[in-house]
Amino acid sequence: MTDLPAIEVLNLRKSFGENHAVQGVSFEVSQGEIFSLLGPNGAGKTTTISMLSCLLRPDDGDARVMGHSIRAEQTGVKSALGVVPQDIALYEDLTARENLTFWGKMYNLRGAKLKARVDEVLDIIGLRDRANERVGKYSGGMKRRVNIGVALLHKPKVIYMDEPTVGIDPQSRRNILDSVVRLKDEGMTVLYTTHYMEEAQELSDHIGIMDHGKLIACGTNDELVKLVGQKTRIDLTLNANAENVMPAWREVEGVSLVSAEDGVVTVLAQDSNLVLPHLFETATRHAARITSVDIHEPNLEAVFLHLTGRALRD
Amino acid sequence: MKILDIALKDMTRSFRSVFAVFFMLGVPLLVTGMFYFMFGNIAGEGGFNLPKTKVAIANLDEGGPKFQVNPRNIPGGKKADTMGELVVSILQSDEMSDLIEVMLADSAAAARAAVDNQSAQVAIIIPPDFSDKFADVNEDAVIEFYQDPTLTIGPAIMKSILNRFLDGMAGVKIAVTVFLDEADSEETALAGQVVQLYLKDSLAESDDPEAELLEVRLPTGTTRNKEEESQNLLLSIVGPIMGGMMVFYAFFTGASTAQSLLKEEEERTLPRLFTTPTSQAAILSGKLLSVFMTICVQVAVLIVAAHWIFGIQWGEVSSVISMAAGIIFSASSFGVFINSFLKNTKQGGVLFGGVLTVTGMLGMISIFAMDSPSAARMGETVSLLVPQGWAVRGLMNSMNGEPLESVLINLLVSLLWSIVFFAVGVWRFNRRYA
Repeated sequence: MTDLPAIEVLNLRKSFGENHAVQGVSFEVSQGEIFSLLGPNGAGKTTTISMLSCLLRPDDGDARVMGHSIRAEQTGVKSALGVVPQDIALYEDLTARENLTFWGKMYNLRGAKLKARVDEVLDIIGLRDRANERVGKYSGGMKRRVNIGVALLHKPKVIYMDEPTVGIDPQSRRNILDSVVRLKDEGMTVLYTTHYMEEAQELSDHIGIMDHGKLIACGTNDELVKLVGQKTRIDLTLNANAENVMPAWREVEGVSLVSAEDGVVTVLAQDSNLVLPHLFETATRHAARITSVDIHEPNLEAVFLHLTGRALRD
Repeated sequence: MKILDIALKDMTRSFRSVFAVFFMLGVPLLVTGMFYFMFGNIAGEGGFNLPKTKVAIANLDEGGPKFQVNPRNIPGGKKADTMGELVVSILQSDEMSDLIEVMLADSAAAARAAVDNQSAQVAIIIPPDFSDKFADVNEDAVIEFYQDPTLTIGPAIMKSILNRFLDGMAGVKIAVTVFLDEADSEETALAGQVVQLYLKDSLAESDDPEAELLEVRLPTGTTRNKEEESQNLLLSIVGPIMGGMMVFYAFFTGASTAQSLLKEEEERTLPRLFTTPTSQAAILSGKLLSVFMTICVQVAVLIVAAHWIFGIQWGEVSSVISMAAGIIFSASSFGVFINSFLKNTKQGGVLFGGVLTVTGMLGMISIFAMDSPSAARMGETVSLLVPQGWAVRGLMNSMNGEPLESVLINLLVSLLWSIVFFAVGVWRFNRRYA
C-alpha cells in the first residue's frame, strides 16, 4: 500500500438544468479506510458516486481513483473499482452463479480463475448452497448480498456502496454492515453513502456530510461531534402552543438552539439535567404541557442539525 | 469476447422465458397449423380434399331446332337434348363429384333462394334460349352465375370450371360454324357429331378433368400425380402463410429482443455494465448481436420445423439462405431502429400493437390477396413500402422456384433497409448513453 489516496475528489460539479446537484465537492479518502457520505435524500451523494464511477461526466472538476482520472482514464478507474448500486442490479432470470459468472467476465475474469473466484464470493455472501437458484426467487436480503458479491468479484481496491441497506430487514442490514467492516479488514477502501446516521457513525473512519449538493463538513466522528460543542439534543413534543413556548425556551440559560420540524421541537443544550426543569416550567407558564421527552447525547444528527438548522431525516 | 458473453447472456434470458419461446416459435407454427388443418383435413384420410362446393342449378333451357347431339361420350353419360342438359350432365359427372355437389332447382328464383338461405354456395341459371343462342353464330349464349358474396374459394372453383367449359363450348361453336360454312349445309346431325368429337378430344376424355379445370401452381421440384397435386395445392396455400408468419414474428422478435436495452436500463443492470471496464461499443454490440442471433435461431428453427411438420418446400438452398439472411438482418435492424425511439418499455406495448402490426400486415398483404391476381399485384406494390414486404416477396420467389437473381434483388433491398435502420438505431442509442 502506498501513500497515494484511494480517492481524491477535486471541486466536482454537476447540474441537471437548473438543479445544481453537486456544487464544488472536494474530499480525499485514504487507502484502506471507510469513508461515509452522509446526507438526506437529494443531498447529491448518488450523483457524486455516479461521477466517481464514470457513469456521469462532471461539468467541472475531476477526481482520481487509485491515481486514475475519471475524465481521462476511465478504464483504469473502472478496473480499480467495484460498485454496489443503490438499486439491485442483477438478472433475476439467471441464477446467482450465472449472474456472478457473467459479471466476472465483464471484469475480465476468465476460465478457472473466474470459476474459483465465483465460488469464493458465493462463500463470502453465504449463498453457495443456493447458488443455482434463480435470483428472482431470492428474498430482498439475499438479493442485496448477491448485489454486493458482484462488486467483489475482481477484488477491487476501492468499493463504492450506495445506500446498500435501504429497504431491507434488520438481520440482512446487520450482515451487510459486518461485511463492510470485513472488506476494510481485507484492505479495501470503502466509499459508503447513507442517510442513516447510525451506520455512518458505526462504520466510518471519516465522514463527509452533504446537503444541497455541498459537502458541509468532513472529518472523523469525534471531530464532527466537536462542531456542536458536545451539546445534548432534546426532542420534545407539546400538546399545544409550541409557537409561543419556543421563543421563551430560547431565553433559557444553557439552551443554544431551538427548532421545530414535523411537530417535534428540538433543543440543543449544554447539560440536559440543568435545562430540563426550566423547559417544563416555561411550558407550564405558557399553558402548554410537554407530552414526551427524548434525550440524545451528541451525535452526527446533532451535527447536521447544528450545521443546517434541520434534522437529518429520511 | 465480451460482446459474445453479453449476447449469450441475453439469449439465455430470452430462451429461458417460456412465453418468449412460445411467441417466437410456437405461434407461427400454430397459426400455420390452423390453416393447414382448415384447408387440409389431414386428420382423416391423410390426403387433401377441398370442401365440396354446393351448386344449385336451374336448367331452364328449352332446346332448339338447330341443336341435336347424341351425348353417349360426354361426361356423365346422360342423354342431353339441350345444351343446358349437357352442362348439367358434365357438372354431375363422376369426375366433378370430388369438387361439387349439384342440386337441381325448378326455377331461377329457387336456385337463387338456395344461395340466399345458404343451402348452396353458387347458383347457375341456364336461360330458356341457351341452346338456341349457342347454335346461332350471331348470338351469345350466357349463363347466370349467382354466388354467396361472403365466400371466395368455392365460388372461385365453380367459376373456373364454368369458364373452362364455356371456353370449350366457344371452341365447339367455332368448329361447328367452320364445318357448316365449309360443308355448305344445314345438316344439324353432323353439327352434333362435331360437338361430340370436340368434347371427346378436349374435355370429356381428359384423364384428369379437375386438373384441366383448376389451375394449380406447383412448388419447385414436385411431380404431378393426383395425391401429390392435392398436397401441392394445400402447400400453395399454407406455404405463403407460413412464410408470412415467419417474417411477421421475426420482426416482433427483433423488436422485443432489442427492447432488452431499455429493459436493462430499467432493471439498472445497464448502468452497472457501464461501471465495468467494458466499453460502451462492446456493450451495445453485444446487445445487438443477441438480437441478430435470436432471430437466426428463430428463422432456422421455423424453416426446418415447417418443412418437417407441413412439408413446406422453401425452394433452392441458396435462395432460402439468402432470404433467411434478408429476414434476419432487416428484422434485427428494424427492432433496434424502433426501440431507439422509445423512452421506456411501457411505450413498447403501443409499438407492438401499432407499428409492428400495421407494417407486418402490410408486408403480408400480397399473401392475403392471393385469391385475386389483380389484388395480389396491388398488394405486392403496397407491401414493398415496408421491409417486411421485401422479405415476404423474396421468400415467395424462393418458394416459387424463381431464379436466385430475383431472390437476390429482394435480399439486396432488405440489406439496404437494414443498413439505414441499423445506422439510425445505433446512432440514437450511442447518443442516449454518451
